[in-house]
Amino acid sequence: MAGPLLEVRDLRKSFGGIHAVQGLSFGVDEGETLGLIGPNGAGKTTVFNLIMAELKPTGGEIWFRGENITRVPTHERVKRGIARTYQVPQPFGEMSVGANIRVGMAPDDLWKLVTEGADHAAEAEIGRSVGFSDEQIDTLPSELAMGDLRRLEMARNVAVSPALLLLDEVFAGLTLREIAHISELLVEKKRKDGLTYIIVSHDLRALAPLVDRVIVMSFGAAIAQGTFDEVVRDAAVREAYLGQ
Amino acid sequence: MSIDRETKRYLVWWLAFGVLMCLLPLGVGPGTLRILIFAHFLAMFAMSWDFLSGRTGYISFGHPFLIGIGGYTTAILSFRFGVPLYFSIPAAVVATMVGGTLFFLPALRIRGTYFALVTLAFMEILYQLTKVVAPKVTGGTRGISGLESIVTGAVNNYYLSFGIMFAIGVVLWLLIRTRLGVALSAIRMNEEAVRSTGHSTTKLKLFAFMVSAAVSGVGGAFYVHYIGSIAPRGMFEINFLFTILVAALLGGAETIIGPIMGAYFLTVLLEYLRPVMPGMERYLLYGGIALVLYVVRPAGIYSLIADAGRKMQEWRR
Repeated sequence: MAGPLLEVRDLRKSFGGIHAVQGLSFGVDEGETLGLIGPNGAGKTTVFNLIMAELKPTGGEIWFRGENITRVPTHERVKRGIARTYQVPQPFGEMSVGANIRVGMAPDDLWKLVTEGADHAAEAEIGRSVGFSDEQIDTLPSELAMGDLRRLEMARNVAVSPALLLLDEVFAGLTLREIAHISELLVEKKRKDGLTYIIVSHDLRALAPLVDRVIVMSFGAAIAQGTFDEVVRDAAVREAYLGQ
Repeated sequence: MSIDRETKRYLVWWLAFGVLMCLLPLGVGPGTLRILIFAHFLAMFAMSWDFLSGRTGYISFGHPFLIGIGGYTTAILSFRFGVPLYFSIPAAVVATMVGGTLFFLPALRIRGTYFALVTLAFMEILYQLTKVVAPKVTGGTRGISGLESIVTGAVNNYYLSFGIMFAIGVVLWLLIRTRLGVALSAIRMNEEAVRSTGHSTTKLKLFAFMVSAAVSGVGGAFYVHYIGSIAPRGMFEINFLFTILVAALLGGAETIIGPIMGAYFLTVLLEYLRPVMPGMERYLLYGGIALVLYVVRPAGIYSLIADAGRKMQEWRR
């Protein structure tokens, strides 16, 4: 396919007088893993919210697979192949792991929702593919550790068969062991399903081995981009993180 | 629709309930049947509320608005214009669904307390409108009385009201057991996350509103023809709204079976308290009972019975 999988052109978002995203442009190619880093308040999550149409941009365009999707609503973007996880996991709290995956697998078609039953075997298979045991399929999110909640979000996203997955602070609140598990899972999913990732993370050590390229944001704008090693040596990046 | 083993097992219980209720007129008098007829109508209204509010979390304080549209439409069409009931009642259901669309519009932007208050405003607006707009048609504050009956006698009305309530109950209960029911529950838990799994929450919510409105329309239309009259004060009274809410919550919201249980419990309780407490103090007592039940068992009567059933199964093993 010619051109990037996702392209963001001159994206802008203001909240009153606060310019959260200021003329951001970047692209991500199919199969690539892009890191999006920056200090707190840099606008990284806002970019994800804009890509998912959870926020309306003040200006700019978003293109996916060569199509302008700036006005396409969230659920349609998901159907076209974009999915996301949240900084704070957002499970359906009163539903089991299996039922959470069921929502992800369910078609956006009222007739099919009523007439076609749930495929419990497929739900368990997706659960297993992100590392859940068969017993855990029936557990409630309230009984899960943070690492498992992140897996649950992964599972729900895998169920919608995305091409591009936006991972927001995917390592936050995890132990070193859990980070290793999630990293392995991401690599495995990429290898098997050819997923493209954009990863927002403050944990640069965990991020470094996963990303092909990194964009550094500060005050809503991209201040540097390149390989991980290039950007961490960049003077502007060091200043943004550490101050002058 | 695929029906799993558990659903089949429950359907046997539904059938047993249906048979029992059909045999009931053989053993009880018309007075009790008339009480149960009211319970059936209350159950329809409570199920309508439950399908929308219990499932999706969009708490409606305005269901009498929907019930009123159904009631007034058939009353006006049949009484003022001589339209036969087999036409006026379906027209009432359609009109209620149109009203349900109006009801739905605020849900595109707001939820929670704000949505509940807007729905309450809907009820209040219709209350005032029926009093002042075209009183020659609506009957103004006095409403319309002398409405045509569908069937006569306690037994016939009992079977009619039970048949409608039972059919609505089974259909709604089957609906909530499908993946549609799961998706509607997910809206209550996290609407944004539902969207981010590729679902149009607008479509899902609109469906829930339409079904809820249709049930309210059916209930409202049959109700006014049963009691033979309709008046704004009775229809849009806050006590009527609370009775619907309490029936649904007391029985167990989000279950469809719960609101039926709640409706029977409330109606029978209120009726049997009448000789002891003839005045409004009965409401005080039922409010107290509801409060205690919420504190002890927030999931309602249904959960009490479901737990007892589970324990019995474990004990038998």
